[in-house]
Amino acid sequence: MKKDLKQKIGVYICECGGNISDYVDVEKVAKAVENEPGVYLVQTTMFTCSDSAQIEIIEGIKENNLDSMVVASCSPKLHLLTFRDVAKRAGLNQYNYVHANIREQCSWAHSDRTEEATDKAVRLVRAAIAKVRLSESLETIEIEAKNVAAIVGAGVSGLRSAIDLADQGTQVYLIERDHFVGGRTAQWGKLFPTNEDGKELVERLYKQIKERENITVFTGADIQSLDGSVGDFKLGVKISPRHITGACDEETSDQLYKVCPQETDDEFNFGLTKRKAIYKNYKNAYPENPVVDMDLCDKCGECLKVTNSNINLEQEAENITLNVGAILLNTGFDPYEPKDGEFGYKTIDNVITLPQFRRLLDMSNGSLEYNGKSIRDIAYIYCVGSRQPDGENKHCSRYCCTSAIQSALNVKSKYSDVRNFHINRGIRTYGKQETCYVDSTKQGDVYLQFFEKSFPTLEKIGDKTIITLNDALTDNETMEVSADLVVLVTGMVPRKEDTVAGILKVPIGSDKFYNEIHTKLRPVETVIDGIFIAGACQSPKNIRATMASTLSATAKANSLISTGKIELEPIIATIDTNLCEWCGKCDELCSYNAFEKVEIDGKMVAQVNKAICKGCGACAPICEVNAINIIGSSDEEVEVMIDAFVKDVQFIEDHKAKEAEKTVGKTDDTEKLKKALPEIGKKILQSLESEAKSVPEIAADIQHPADDVLYYLMSLRKYGFVKETGEINDDEYYLYELKQ
Amino acid sequence: MSKLNPDFILEFSTDEEFNPNACINCGTCSGLCPIGLDALPRKLSRYIVLGLEDKILEEKESYFQCLLCKLCVENCPTQVNISSNVRTARNYINRKIYKI
Ligand SMILES: Cc1cc2nc3c(=O)[nH]c(=O)nc-3n(C[C@H](O)[C@H](O)[C@H](O)COP(=O)(O)OP(=O)(O)OC[C@H]3O[C@@H](n4cnc5c(N)ncnc54)[C@H](O)[C@@H]3O)c2cc1C
Ligand code: SF4
Ligand code: SF4
Ligand code: SF4
Ligand code: SF4
Repeated sequence: MKKDLKQKIGVYICECGGNISDYVDVEKVAKAVENEPGVYLVQTTMFTCSDSAQIEIIEGIKENNLDSMVVASCSPKLHLLTFRDVAKRAGLNQYNYVHANIREQCSWAHSDRTEEATDKAVRLVRAAIAKVRLSESLETIEIEAKNVAAIVGAGVSGLRSAIDLADQGTQVYLIERDHFVGGRTAQWGKLFPTNEDGKELVERLYKQIKERENITVFTGADIQSLDGSVGDFKLGVKISPRHITGACDEETSDQLYKVCPQETDDEFNFGLTKRKAIYKNYKNAYPENPVVDMDLCDKCGECLKVTNSNINLEQEAENITLNVGAILLNTGFDPYEPKDGEFGYKTIDNVITLPQFRRLLDMSNGSLEYNGKSIRDIAYIYCVGSRQPDGENKHCSRYCCTSAIQSALNVKSKYSDVRNFHINRGIRTYGKQETCYVDSTKQGDVYLQFFEKSFPTLEKIGDKTIITLNDALTDNETMEVSADLVVLVTGMVPRKEDTVAGILKVPIGSDKFYNEIHTKLRPVETVIDGIFIAGACQSPKNIRATMASTLSATAKANSLISTGKIELEPIIATIDTNLCEWCGKCDELCSYNAFEKVEIDGKMVAQVNKAICKGCGACAPICEVNAINIIGSSDEEVEVMIDAFVKDVQFIEDHKAKEAEKTVGKTDDTEKLKKALPEIGKKILQSLESEAKSVPEIAADIQHPADDVLYYLMSLRKYGFVKETGEINDDEYYLYELKQ
Repeated sequence: MSKLNPDFILEFSTDEEFNPNACINCGTCSGLCPIGLDALPRKLSRYIVLGLEDKILEEKESYFQCLLCKLCVENCPTQVNISSNVRTARNYINRKIYKI
């Protein structure tokens, strides 16, 4: 038994403006708990979370010298922090406050059974009181944090994040798997909505990176391992070499590309072109030097003969460990790759994807050709790999309607005789992007629409591909569109080759993108403290949305590590090392890897890493020798709560008194309600005092629009103030009268 | 089965005013039309956009039934010049069928 039981508990029961008190009789709850051991004061309030109520509580605690408090209101998810703050302001330790949820768990869940709802509320509040009696004063755990961040992925998201974190004084390691930075943005040529060039955007960001001394960029870098925890992660990274050890100017590079005999599909151009084993993604890609692809190189030695090439084919990979306080994941997405035969992909030779089309357009010069044939009519088939009724990808990729339409605008401004046919499932050029759509209709683009019930079919006839669809915009008329090139508007999907997620244990959502804690309220944090997500690795995003999430993750990471220390919840697991025999079962079970095996007094026992443990409690029941206790949910605390919960609830009054009270309550309510009526409601009642009237007659009488009168009259009817007489007047309108 | 004919619209009219492409198929015009044309106003536009010449000739009566009251034009959210487009269509039908 603990020594100092709380003696002066304040209990605050909230009405939640009727949300609770309409179903739970809060006065009864107050009565039923006022004699619980330790309770000094019980109060009911209309809105406990309101500023005025908070101040009242604080003053009450101080005046009466209370030592702890219980709040019975809504879910602690909503207001736990609010009332912890109240406790602190009142001079209490914030852990000497316990919360009971009597809204979600009582009034809302049991709105059809008010007596039982009240009974349950009494039990919940009693349990909270029993628990707070045993509560101890706890201090938040403070750990040291390195003001150093690792940013994984140097697309526009990672680049931007690095700049901002560096400017706030954080040391940044920017870790890019590819040998060049910029990610996918560099691939698209002109970007919506500004027509800025993607490569220029990347160049601008990279130059800013170079200007900052506290950013180190690693390319060809792969995450290998992770140790430690928030504030003090140890990230193992393997750096593949470039094999070019000194400066390599453009002329030398061109020569190298020429002499190298090894060739493969160029991934940057989605296989539309070939590249050599020595290559750059594109001419002005950064960092400036080319790289040697050792998977392709057969060490023929031709490149070594080029003067000033600075090539070293024997350069070895390096393994380094980075010690960082926070990790930001900005690893982006992959474009959806259609299955063979999906809308003619790979089976009809003039069917390509939107990413390929962007490369084709970006590289084309003078004439638009594909496979040596010139292109005039282009058909775009939308939502390929997104919004799949049967496939894996249920999501809308959000970027693609706009991107396809912007491609149509770009291609037409470059080649004016091109004609665009958009075969879509409803256009989603939301927000400011709608102007792209309007511009495209102005330039004469034709839109046809299909539903998921019948997808378009494709057939190659001669040089043309004929697309047949039922056009929803023309009464499902079967239409044939003839095209020189078919562009499949493919969506965004998670990275196929994802090695980091496994190593970092990042949670993956049902859509397979990285998962945040809470979509709305905590969109850039993961359940692992100190690991943040931003950009397209979290969900499909255009650059604007990518930046919004990037800057928010950056700010979150900065506020976590910049002060050099991190405060953590003290509600965690503790081990009684006298009992623990290190069987390792807890270690196997903990999803956060919070356990370590340590030696104490010559015996191996479990130890909990305070920075990792979430206090979830999963480990406590698995321990066969009962060595694990969760602070705040010890066996003793849980037992007294159960005792309090099962104790009989007896309401004092007899049945008759209750009935009487009910009717009294009713008239009271009606009077109260009448007083609370809006002006127009009162006028309607007045107008009906003399005689029964129809809605137009009341409207004319009180000089309010008839639709307003109708609306308020129906409310009055619902609350039992008026009723219809059952008769109609000469104009055939129903008449209403006051209800006695 | 109809074949989309993108060249048709050029033959039809090159006037700047002529803008059936701007239609978003909201149906406002069809809902408002006081005489309830056999083929709804938006469809008259749609046939022209898609170049469905057969349909236009099939529905030629509708193009002439229109009162040119402009109720639709006033309310079209994308400023389609419906009534002037209808007149362009009449012009086309006159040329093509009635040879006037
Ligand atoms: C065809 C197409 C056209 C588009 N056009 C536009 C447009 O016009 N306007 C617009 O606003 N948006 C456009 N978008 C969307 C735009 O591409 C994305 O918003 C943007 O690329 C997201 O940036 P990111 O940095 O999050 O991801 P990415 O650009 O994908 O960059 C991620 C980076 O992380 C690296 N990486 C991945 N895994 C690892 C790892 N394990 N370790 C280290 N590094 C890793 C990658 O190599 C890459 O460099 C388009 C998208 C497509 C598909
Ligand atoms: S943005 Fe458009 S094309 Fe892309 S998935 Fe959504 S609806 Fe389909
Ligand atoms: S389960 Fe219990 S006994 Fe086993 S290692 Fe963990 S704390 Fe020790
Ligand atoms: S309480 Fe949860 S997070 Fe903490 S050690 Fe136990 S299982 Fe792991
Ligand atoms: S009101 Fe305008 S946009 Fe709507 S259907 Fe008619 S023409 Fe089209």
